[in-house]
Amino acid sequence: MNTLDIAPPQMAVLYGLCLLPWLALWLIGLRLSRDILIGIVRMSLQLALVGFYLKTLFSLDDPWLNALWIFVMLVVADLSILQRAGLKARFFALSTLVAITFSTLFATFYLVVLVIQPEYFYDARYLVPLAGMVLGNCQQGNVIALERFYSALRSNELEYQTFLLLGATRWEAARPYYRIAVQAAISPTLANMATMGLVSLPGMMTGQILGGSEPWLAVKYQIAIMIGIFASTTLACIINLKLSMRMAFNAYDVLRREVFAKG
Amino acid sequence: MSAIIEFSHVTVSVPDKIILSEVSFTLNAGEKAVLCGKSGSGKSTVLKTLLGLLPLQGGAIYFQGKPLDVLAMAAIRRHTAYIGQEPVLGAETVRAALLLPFQFKAHRGHKPTDTQLKDVLAQLQLSADILEQDSSRISGGEKQRIALARGLLLGKSLYLLDEVTSALDDESKQAVFAVFAQPSLTVLSVAHDPDWIACCTRVLQLEDGRLLEDSLHEHA
Repeated sequence: MNTLDIAPPQMAVLYGLCLLPWLALWLIGLRLSRDILIGIVRMSLQLALVGFYLKTLFSLDDPWLNALWIFVMLVVADLSILQRAGLKARFFALSTLVAITFSTLFATFYLVVLVIQPEYFYDARYLVPLAGMVLGNCQQGNVIALERFYSALRSNELEYQTFLLLGATRWEAARPYYRIAVQAAISPTLANMATMGLVSLPGMMTGQILGGSEPWLAVKYQIAIMIGIFASTTLACIINLKLSMRMAFNAYDVLRREVFAKG
Repeated sequence: MSAIIEFSHVTVSVPDKIILSEVSFTLNAGEKAVLCGKSGSGKSTVLKTLLGLLPLQGGAIYFQGKPLDVLAMAAIRRHTAYIGQEPVLGAETVRAALLLPFQFKAHRGHKPTDTQLKDVLAQLQLSADILEQDSSRISGGEKQRIALARGLLLGKSLYLLDEVTSALDDESKQAVFAVFAQPSLTVLSVAHDPDWIACCTRVLQLEDGRLLEDSLHEHA
């Protein structure tokens, strides 16, 4: 089954779908024209670039180029996680990069090599989109984990210090906040898995069906990707928080103020 | 008497402000010292600096003759109980709060018996009924005494007390004084309470981060 192309005139019609909500927002007094325009233009340009580089990657299908692209994605995700979590990159860039690299590669190669089994494991058609989906979700989880952990430590500093003075090691004193942070980070993925198919049709599955796949095949890929996302997000958060603690405290186990981007 | 703590020209500052300036004193085993002075004079900073919670900008601190480093800090924290004005109990019930430190590797295997818990509570004029109470619903004075009880159960020998009698009635105060009168316990405290100051053997007077006076207390 061939997917129907969207011709340029129809693309223009597509953008017309935004006019009614824009008008509705304007009528209720929300002047968001600029934000809407920026959002639509950025999305379109970014996706056009994705289309360009994916086409190039798929046609060259060079393992080193694929690896380089995944590395670029990991570095961008690393810096984005820290910026959104309100932490300084010079303290946590390495620990976060190690955690997301290990967990993303582990989950992606597990899916590619053991589950999907393409002719060669570095096949860009499988490797790049799967790594991208796994990493994208892993990124969300790590933002939540780091933000929750360090804001909990900051707001409960007196309690943390009390635990230390009662004989707890740094790890024992920080563990209650660590558990809360990891749970908060994986909760969206767990909730998503629990309601998948009932509340919404997942994007990847919809994309595959529109792309001409049999629904059953799309379902199997969706299950694979969700399990990959769950595994990588959980592992990345657990590893990332643990590694980050090496930089976040001074020699006497006191939380360092200078690790926070703001005050 | 052997020196437990020595502050030698200790300076502590935050951006734009010196909190302690060239503070020097020695505290011997068994002494009961009190830091006096107006709010903001640096009294609580002395306790926090000793516990490694604030960094030194100058001078040195010695614990049992050894300069403060990671090992000495571990030793300080092993020997010391710190009780602030509003202690954090860190558990839902009073019993859980008293037993909390015994979950940590350092104290595992030394969990006190019910009788030991009740004995310590009795020393501090607390009834055994408090054990099952919600720790967030007890009074400030009770919280302070529970935190003290926790230190006693851990067999701590050095007590850093920040306004520890501020929420206590006379009877409870007397019980706390009696506990700390033990010669084996060393106390470095912060207080405004004249009754507490009268019970101490040493008075360290601070003003604007400087140690103005270090005197032995005749009434102790």
